[in-house]
Amino acid sequence: MTTEQSERELAGVGCQAPAEQAPPKIIVIDDDSAICLACRKILLKEGYQVQAYEDGLRGLEAITTWKPDLVVVDLKMPGIGGMEVLSRVHEFDPHIIIVVITGYATIDTAVQAMKCGAYDFLPKPFAPDPLRLIVRRGLEHRRLVIESRRHEMERELIKRRFVSFISHQLQSPLAAVHQYLEVLRHLEDSPETAAKRREWLERCLKRIAELEELIRDWLTLAKAEERVLVAQRYPIDLRPILQGILNSYEQMAAAEGIRLEARLPEQECLVWGNRHCLNVLFDNLIVNAIKYNRPGGRVSVSAQPLGDGQVAVAVSDTGVGIPEKYRRFLFEEFFRIPRQEGEAKPGTGLGLAICRKIVTEMGGSIEVESEVGVGTTFYVRLLAPPETAEGRRARLEQTA
Amino acid sequence: MPPAKVLLIDDDRDFRTSLRAVLEARGYEVIEAESGKEGLKKIVEHHPSLIVVDIMMECCTEGYSVTQAIKFQRQYEAFRNIPIIMVSSIQESPDELFPMASEVDMIRPDTYLTKPVDIDKFVEVVERAVAA
Repeated sequence: MTTEQSERELAGVGCQAPAEQAPPKIIVIDDDSAICLACRKILLKEGYQVQAYEDGLRGLEAITTWKPDLVVVDLKMPGIGGMEVLSRVHEFDPHIIIVVITGYATIDTAVQAMKCGAYDFLPKPFAPDPLRLIVRRGLEHRRLVIESRRHEMERELIKRRFVSFISHQLQSPLAAVHQYLEVLRHLEDSPETAAKRREWLERCLKRIAELEELIRDWLTLAKAEERVLVAQRYPIDLRPILQGILNSYEQMAAAEGIRLEARLPEQECLVWGNRHCLNVLFDNLIVNAIKYNRPGGRVSVSAQPLGDGQVAVAVSDTGVGIPEKYRRFLFEEFFRIPRQEGEAKPGTGLGLAICRKIVTEMGGSIEVESEVGVGTTFYVRLLAPPETAEGRRARLEQTA
Repeated sequence: MPPAKVLLIDDDRDFRTSLRAVLEARGYEVIEAESGKEGLKKIVEHHPSLIVVDIMMECCTEGYSVTQAIKFQRQYEAFRNIPIIMVSSIQESPDELFPMASEVDMIRPDTYLTKPVDIDKFVEVVERAVAA
């Protein structure tokens, strides 16, 4: 499998581009050859592919081999009648649209045909226009039905892949820990085993910690999806939040010789948000900026009220950068940029998906700019708190 | 007689570490590779007596691709008869994963084990494969 393929697989399943559409196929069945010919002529002129049959049995055969989208069939024919065609066609494919022609235009026969699954009926004699109209509507109906079935199947496929992917993510660390414990139990006590025991236990703890992180992130994402996290919003000053996160990572950054910079306004920088969410959001962005930086690099964080009811925050690094082809997958769940061997960093692949979810739920937006080898900047827009009546009065008084 | 060489192909270093310990305790020489690509390189370099390969690595069928390459690609013709043990944390059989029977036949490993592997069974399978 190519990298491009696995990228797509990880980034969720893209929909296939629909193939070039061939004109819809229609079969007309009527023992009256004049009607057969007329219908065929009218429908061919509309650009459809049309076959016409004067005999119910031959018509049915054609339906099973040629697989039309729509069938126009006379209810009253010698031999196989319209009602039988109707039921046999729908046994073959319940989504073929059937329009019945009824010679004796009683409501009863039409209703009976509709009950048996006909889409609509045309009372004889009919003009070209009603035929064109009913056929067009019927084909549109079929298109919608097919489309919604396809969406349903795609959703199902994505769900299935997601379940198998997440179970692999959960099972791997568990299986690794299990394996170590099995080996520890199994191996004879020897000086070599004793030396390895401590190292293996450390690895077990690390894998368990990773698993816990994954479960925590996944829960955060699920909560953000249910809007639990962002349901309660207050005016919150961003400055202490950003400064607090930066302070907590000072040591981690210093270990790599990375400088952390904050360019924050002197005045309060209020956003309309939820403290926990804002912490999760900027924690993720700042940790990424440190993690994917180069030794001796820089991380800078800035925040600025824009005056139009929005607040702009930027988190930039001087790191490896994100190749353009990966940028569109960046905020997808479990997407991770393939790294060279040895360059892979630990992580769940959920961080940026959580960020996007939180920002969107708070009514903001998140974008990325990046240059390979130079660095990456995440631009976040958040909403300022709605103006209160008092605030508005104070502002008006000030300007007056 | 020099010890038999076993190549472990798995992107999870903890599996390589623990299985290596089991194999070394029984006198095997162990070579590790952390991707399918590296594995194929090491097959040529070391000519192992047995290959243990994980199915899901960078992409979810990488182990199958490795097996397929060994069995069918001309450049690995000399290694075609090396027994292959496939391991995966997926609880399904390869037939369920790949319902197309012909495809499974083509890439069927000699043995399929589920992670975490049962050590006794693993050792038994390894010994049988190397002796064959």
